[in-house]
Amino acid sequence: MSTDHPLIQMQRVMLRYPTGKTALSGVTLDIQQGQFVYLVGESGAGKSSLLKMLYGGVRPSSGILISQQTDMREASEGKIRDLRRRMGIIFQDHKLLFSRTVFENVALPLRVQGWKTERLIPRVRKVLEYVGLGDRLWSYPEALSGGEQQRVAIARAMTANPALILADEPTGNLDVDTARRVLDYLMDLNRQGTTVIMATHDLHLLESHPGRVVQMHAGSLAGDSHGY
Amino acid sequence: MATELIPEKVNPRLPGGFHLPPFGVNQVLALVIVCIALWAVGTLWLAMQGASQWVGGWQQDIHIHVYLDAKRADQASLLEQELQDIPQVASLRRISADEAAIWMQEWLSDAGLQQQELASRLPITFELSIGDERTEFLFSDIRDTAMRFGGTVNEDEVSLAQVHDLLSQASYLAWFASLILAIAMALIISNTLRMTLLSRADEIHLMRLMGAKEWFVRTPFILEGMLLGAGAGVLAWLLLWPLVLGSSTWLSTMQVELNAWVFFIPLLFAGAVVGAFGALIATSRVSSGDAANSQV
Repeated sequence: MSTDHPLIQMQRVMLRYPTGKTALSGVTLDIQQGQFVYLVGESGAGKSSLLKMLYGGVRPSSGILISQQTDMREASEGKIRDLRRRMGIIFQDHKLLFSRTVFENVALPLRVQGWKTERLIPRVRKVLEYVGLGDRLWSYPEALSGGEQQRVAIARAMTANPALILADEPTGNLDVDTARRVLDYLMDLNRQGTTVIMATHDLHLLESHPGRVVQMHAGSLAGDSHGY
Repeated sequence: MATELIPEKVNPRLPGGFHLPPFGVNQVLALVIVCIALWAVGTLWLAMQGASQWVGGWQQDIHIHVYLDAKRADQASLLEQELQDIPQVASLRRISADEAAIWMQEWLSDAGLQQQELASRLPITFELSIGDERTEFLFSDIRDTAMRFGGTVNEDEVSLAQVHDLLSQASYLAWFASLILAIAMALIISNTLRMTLLSRADEIHLMRLMGAKEWFVRTPFILEGMLLGAGAGVLAWLLLWPLVLGSSTWLSTMQVELNAWVFFIPLLFAGAVVGAFGALIATSRVSSGDAANSQV
């Protein structure tokens, strides 16, 4: 991907839901490849809506949003699918499949991309070893602690080696130490070149893990500090 | 390599594509219900097969015999001509008394009748072949013509021919009933798969978030529907055999021999098609991801 263009480009982006609620209004923001961006703000500020828009869950009502050279307003379903294959998503509630093993959860993005089981196993083992869960390959998520489950979610997000990871409050349900460890992994991935955009309420993490902080308020951009 | 890495008793079940979803109690129930419906369809067509054999439906022609007393032999040529002139009579053959006597001797093999004496007592017989298209009054016309010359018609054959006509009408009803049952079966399978889809909504949503194509998400359910339908078809076919075997002795007295083998492929195929159709209905109702309906 060219370094001349931002990885994500937003100009006067507005998002209005069918209910009439305006979630985002006039957001203009560029995110360069390799940045670690925190989205902060009160509940309802528009952080999750912004992330949702970045993975094509909702589309902008007006303005320009280009993510990884894909115009999100005009993109076809196929383009959105291609885009999603190039990103990893982490949720606050993990969204792990509890009826499936850790291996099956982490292998899901690769399976979607058509990888054969023979190729999947070494790759999944490698990413699980990276997050310290190499011995839990065949365990079920319910046998893991909250922190371990979130590490499985990180492994799942990184297993397809995406250029962009979107994390929606990944530390929201974790204690401070576990949250720091989860953030260590995300920071490490960022150092390896992955762009990370993370919505969070845990402002104390910003001190130990500095990054660019985008402040949102009532659906608008309220501040943007480049601490990275 | 993979077998070295996968421990014993661990069988990875990766979702999507050609991997079938887990088989649960809903699927078993759907299998039983669809099997009963397919069995009803099979039984209906088995009955049609038996009825058709009973009335001689497998033969191309239906024959009606007209008899004229030998004392009225002088009227025979006129009667023959008048019968021949009835439009829907395809052909007419006069059966000689000797031929009729031989046939009767064979039929009454142990009666010990004298053939010559029998031949002299038999009436003049005309065998009428009836065409495929018959008017409502054909049999009345034959009967009236025969009566004008003092002849009679074999009324049992007329009744069988009329039953054959009724069976032709009944076959349309059988097709209609099969169609209604097929729609019901498709809806049952669709509903079952819908429940499976709902129980796996998180997994489907996740796959879509990861960029899965629609065929990848839907194929397991369509395969499951096809397998459910085909399995129900095979079970329904197996359940036809007790009917066939149980009624064979009674039906053989009417020279009817049911053949259940001919229903194997139709039931299997019909089950699979109905199952696939039900799966298509179920999966078509699943929203194609939040991206599709989020244009605001």
